[in-house]
Amino acid sequence: MNSVRFRKILDAILVPLLAVLSGLVVMGILILFLKKPLFESYAILFSNGFGCQAYGNCIFITALERATPLILTGLSAVVAFRSGMFSIGQEGQYLVGAATAAWLGYAIHLPPVLHPLVLILAAMLVGAGYGWIPGILKVKLGVNELLATIMLNSIAALVVEYLVQFPMRAEKSTTAHSPVIDESAQLLAFLPGSKWGVGFVIAVLAVILVYIYLWRTKSGYEQRMAGQSKKFALFGGIRSDSAAVRAMLISGALSGLAGAIEVMGVHRRIMTGFSVGLGFDGLTTAILGQVHPIGVFIVAILFSGLKLGAQIGLQLKLDIPRELGGTIIGFIILFVAAGKLYEENIVRARDWLLSRRGSKLKGESQ
Amino acid sequence: MWNQTSGISPEVYLKDMPMTPAIEMKGITKFFTSTHVRANDHVDFSVEHGEVHALVGENGAGKTTLMSILYGLVKPDEGEIVIDGGKVRIGHPDDAIKNGIGMVHQHFKLIPSFTVAQNIQLGIEPDPFLNPQKENELVAELANKYNLPVDPAARIRDLPVGMQQRVEILKILQRHAKILVLDEPTAVLTPQEVNELITVIRGLSKLGYTIIFITHKLIEVMSVADRVSVMRGGKMVGTKKVSETSIPDLARMMVGREVLLRVKKKEIQRGEVVLETRDISVSDVNGLAAISHVTFNVHKGEIVAIAGVSGNGQTELVEAISGMLSLDGGEILFKGKPIDQASVGERRDMGMAHIPEDRMVVGLNLQTTLDENLIVSRYNHSEFSRYGFLLMKTISDFAEKVVHAFSISAARPGEGISMLSGGNLQKVVVGRELSGNPSFIIANQPTRGLDVGSIEFVHKTLIEERDKGAGVLLVSVELDEVLALSDRILVLYRGKIQGELETATATEEQVGILMAGGTLEDLKAERREDEQGKWEVRS
Repeated sequence: MNSVRFRKILDAILVPLLAVLSGLVVMGILILFLKKPLFESYAILFSNGFGCQAYGNCIFITALERATPLILTGLSAVVAFRSGMFSIGQEGQYLVGAATAAWLGYAIHLPPVLHPLVLILAAMLVGAGYGWIPGILKVKLGVNELLATIMLNSIAALVVEYLVQFPMRAEKSTTAHSPVIDESAQLLAFLPGSKWGVGFVIAVLAVILVYIYLWRTKSGYEQRMAGQSKKFALFGGIRSDSAAVRAMLISGALSGLAGAIEVMGVHRRIMTGFSVGLGFDGLTTAILGQVHPIGVFIVAILFSGLKLGAQIGLQLKLDIPRELGGTIIGFIILFVAAGKLYEENIVRARDWLLSRRGSKLKGESQ
Repeated sequence: MWNQTSGISPEVYLKDMPMTPAIEMKGITKFFTSTHVRANDHVDFSVEHGEVHALVGENGAGKTTLMSILYGLVKPDEGEIVIDGGKVRIGHPDDAIKNGIGMVHQHFKLIPSFTVAQNIQLGIEPDPFLNPQKENELVAELANKYNLPVDPAARIRDLPVGMQQRVEILKILQRHAKILVLDEPTAVLTPQEVNELITVIRGLSKLGYTIIFITHKLIEVMSVADRVSVMRGGKMVGTKKVSETSIPDLARMMVGREVLLRVKKKEIQRGEVVLETRDISVSDVNGLAAISHVTFNVHKGEIVAIAGVSGNGQTELVEAISGMLSLDGGEILFKGKPIDQASVGERRDMGMAHIPEDRMVVGLNLQTTLDENLIVSRYNHSEFSRYGFLLMKTISDFAEKVVHAFSISAARPGEGISMLSGGNLQKVVVGRELSGNPSFIIANQPTRGLDVGSIEFVHKTLIEERDKGAGVLLVSVELDEVLALSDRILVLYRGKIQGELETATATEEQVGILMAGGTLEDLKAERREDEQGKWEVRS
């Protein structure tokens, strides 16, 4: 019984791991084409993604900081996908959450602790509301949630851009941005000179809570059953409509939270071009992480580190264009999407190993 | 050219029929590591030239694995295959075909948009520049030769299932097979098509072909086979001449114990009415009337059967009662209370259980664990959840209990169920539905696709529930099942109750005529005519 469980977990880890390795091999080929030193490139990729030169000078810390919003938008996608909603609305929910936090950060003045709490709750509420729209449209009118969330992403991007350019624009800002939020509203960082802080702790908490919610509570059970088989849910007496709407509310709240933390912990304001595709990266993280909270956590950190190493490290040290770094990440995603390839081969390899071991055992007993 | 490529034609081959068996499989062993199942355990299997050899066993007994090994689809861990006295190695279906073995799979391997002739000659086309005229002629000739008439130019997708199967048989004959393996060929056929197939098998056997016929329907074994081999739990139990055995005998060999082919039941103790439908009408998914103005009731302690040919509104009736579909008109009373507005969950909480027709998609969620499947109707109750949290330990203990109580041998708490056999899956459904002590059970086609042992289990369980005082609504298209289990029969025809019969006095003939849309008066009139006919002859 335990061995089956162990095997399942092993499979879940092996597939993305092999995909990452395949991506790195492809990267090597590309680097050889550019006539750059191969092993040095790998070394730089890792030291600039996950390395630690000295205490307080850790690139890995930066990777953790970058991973924070990814973890949350990834969790947002996990909750939606597990409940049968193919929502890609993380980007839009992230933006409205960020805008809410940025506005309340300078518009109202509250004591520390209370101020960030209010901002976070408000951003989660607005994000949840923005997730509720495609949810209710799907349930009541049968509108495809994929199309609805794509459109809502565009709407959010344009509305937030307008807000940043006009009503929320700080005086004398050359590139449009909002005023800096109150000091009382900012999230603490753990180390001087870094922005890795309370936000990351919140993300870790969210990982645990989402796991407990989905697998240990009635509501989570309802959502997963409705997501896996609508007919089974209907037959068993589960209301899959309300489960779907609830999933979208939670998903929206998590993305909104990601936006709030990015504003309060990193940028301290919102500016034009605020989202650099973090919502979409969250989506990718969820899929790479086997649509599981723990998977999302690991992949988000890996993903951020690789991005740092491939897009920044390689460019600075070896003059390899950052687009190549992006290409490597693209390949990794492609390989994970082709995960079946690995799954089948893993099963085949295991069968072969087991049958060898089996025949050896038999030989001993004879 | 096409019939001279390789091999000997069976007619020639018949003349000097050797004394050695056509096929001998010796000590075949296959262990599937991924599922930890010993599908074949030192199986010996031998088939004589020109015989029809039935291979029977319950689901999961290892029949299909054994045949897949013979056909080169699965590699055995141990054992050897001897054909016509010579040892052969079959590593791929191509090797099997070279050795004269052809297989008709349960799910046909035909291309729906191609014609019959194109399908038969796919891969062995007589002419590199496809010549439809010539292909059709060749296939017509082939069909003629074996007396298996078929239209070579017809497209597969336009043909009924029985005809498609015939194309599969022609396909392997075209490839010069001498030994035909038919994997559960009757599972997909209508009764008429089954009769036709049996004629075809007999005809081919007369021509000298050797036929291996996999099935779990014993009645077919008795009517078509010369010899029968029985498998159970991956082992070969024995081989017998059909003339020297009987259905109960074979059933005992298959299941490993005495099987009640007809379950005994106690005298009926009819209690109060538990379910009542008043003039209900229901539409199907397309909005067409599926059930119109149906009124009936079910008492406690009785089994009421809804008989009828499939597709006469059974699914909609069941879904309306269970709450999955809403009513267009009329009302449903459960324990005297109207439940039209009650949700599925509320109805279940009131004591309604439902064994659905489709266990793979509706009754179970194959993507999740046994535990989560077992609590779907009751996860909300305080026994399984508190303050919104699931009580994991209690749920897992409950799963353990159900596994024991319903002897679901292969299922384990905490693990997935997608690998379980049909019979075990149905036990999971039945176990869940009955462990809540329901007062009313809807059983829609509860034994469809199950083997003898599992059918006996389901029948016994339903009768036990009836004797304990539950009302049972049994929906079945199997006349045997209806007559064996029910106390009262309602025949559904085009969404209406065509007639009601007391099972004790009902005859197969009466149910049959109602199922076909006739009335009992028609039957009487027919009899009268017969009588009159006799009279006239006599006078």
